[in-house]
Amino acid sequence: MGECGDPHQLDEGDFRSTVHSFEYWFEAVEGYLHDRPFGVSPKTAEIELSDRQRDGLITTLCNYCVGETAALEASSGMIGFAPDRHAKIFLSTQVVDEGRHLEILLHRLTQLGVADPEAEIGKRASKSLLKFKDRLLDLVDSRDWEAAIFAQNVILECLEFTAFKHHASTADPVTSEMLWGIVSDERRHMGFGENDLGRRLLAAPHTHERLSKIKRELDALVLNTLSETMGELGIGMADQPDLAGDYLAAVARLGFRS
Amino acid sequence: MADFLAGYSVQKWLESCPQGYLEDTVYGHGADEREPEEALRNEVLHEQQIRTTVQLIAGERCALAASSGLVNAAPDQPSKLFLATQTLDEARHVEIFTQRLYDLGVTPDNLESTISRYVNPNLVKFAEVLLEKIDKKDFVAGVVGQNIVLEGMAFSVFEMLQAQAADSNPKFAHTLAGTIADERRHVGFGENRIGELIKRHPERKSEIQRMQQDMTGHMLATFHTAFAASTAANEEFHKLSAAKGGQRAKAVYQGVDLAEASTDEMEGALANTVLKEFKTRLGRIGLEYQSPS
Repeated sequence: MGECGDPHQLDEGDFRSTVHSFEYWFEAVEGYLHDRPFGVSPKTAEIELSDRQRDGLITTLCNYCVGETAALEASSGMIGFAPDRHAKIFLSTQVVDEGRHLEILLHRLTQLGVADPEAEIGKRASKSLLKFKDRLLDLVDSRDWEAAIFAQNVILECLEFTAFKHHASTADPVTSEMLWGIVSDERRHMGFGENDLGRRLLAAPHTHERLSKIKRELDALVLNTLSETMGELGIGMADQPDLAGDYLAAVARLGFRS
Repeated sequence: MADFLAGYSVQKWLESCPQGYLEDTVYGHGADEREPEEALRNEVLHEQQIRTTVQLIAGERCALAASSGLVNAAPDQPSKLFLATQTLDEARHVEIFTQRLYDLGVTPDNLESTISRYVNPNLVKFAEVLLEKIDKKDFVAGVVGQNIVLEGMAFSVFEMLQAQAADSNPKFAHTLAGTIADERRHVGFGENRIGELIKRHPERKSEIQRMQQDMTGHMLATFHTAFAASTAANEEFHKLSAAKGGQRAKAVYQGVDLAEASTDEMEGALANTVLKEFKTRLGRIGLEYQSPS
């Protein structure tokens, strides 16, 4: 497909039509998906995991599947009320990204010996994350664009970005490579949320308070989920990275402080 | 079911579509391909190209709303994943046909007004019947309406347009080739996935057949008004083809030479082809085709 050049040289209208396009999406993902079926190069070798490590990894991946299913259902549900064609097309690329994430996580679960991933997810899913998913889909069902894009492309994407980035740096090689590919997508999704909300907040500053209220409500669920993830991965308190701090800092960079 | 759905995974889609038949394309065609001079300079042909492209955008916008709306309604993960790929396919179609309007000289500021001016009201009604099922998160009716009726119609329309453009407009013909390949995959999913669900829910048959009947009625009305509006453009197309004499390539669709056929003959060829396909595909999933009342 064609070259898009540097989109930052474009004016806002051209920037949106370029960046929020199938062409741009494909150029972005092709670099890290080419020759990597299910997100991992066939050359990347498995290492042996202890039973405890394997079990913790399965629980963590099951919860990632809950997050990605939430993201898939939310981003697809938002297309119907997205404010313009560029937003609809960007969300369509996000839908396929989220679908791909779910697919490669399910594939990894089967590689780890899980015979029925859907049943395993039902058994191991974090209650906080399930509540977060319900709340996110409520916002989508209410067709509230600002609230839904905030909960999905700022809060959920920041949560996933933070958790996956830390996990990728310590995981076994196959899981790590798979997660780095997902992190690259999440960065693009956060960029869309930041760009879209940034313009809206400039035009309607009072929206900030409304979104901050939603953030306060969702933060508790996010922080619980992060804490559970650390426990599942078997990381002792002393060795735990400050995921909560990283998450709050990532959201704060988008202008939403606690 | 699991084995058949594995053929519709995101990974398979990535390999066959963006990394396959779309490789080295820009908006679905070759980077150096342009709209032919006749389509830009000849007033009658130019307006006809815009009118046709507007119908494609309207159909694809409906397909995007339907496929994205079905993700949440899908009863299993593999179906959700397939519908995710279909959502992006439909978004790409919206994008490439919108780009074609721009290539034909429509400006972004005039996009929506151009679509409102030329969109066929019967096509709007066709879309409304389907989107009502999607709003109700009715997966079985939604997939029949979307992946059998809408996609079945689109598939045949694209094939006819591609036959017409093969010689006169290679850029548009190439754009259509990619969308035809996508639609073939979508129709295949609909047939394979829904047959099993219809067997499990026979009580849904009459209601779904009624939806098919309504959609078919609006589709035939769309064809009729669209071909009636294109008589002058068709005559221009005949003149250009005749001017090429022995050098012109055959533009044949379902045995009809499009360079010589009347709009009535073209409408008949398209409608007969789509209805025959409907009967076959609906029969495969256990439904009986219903003629519009």
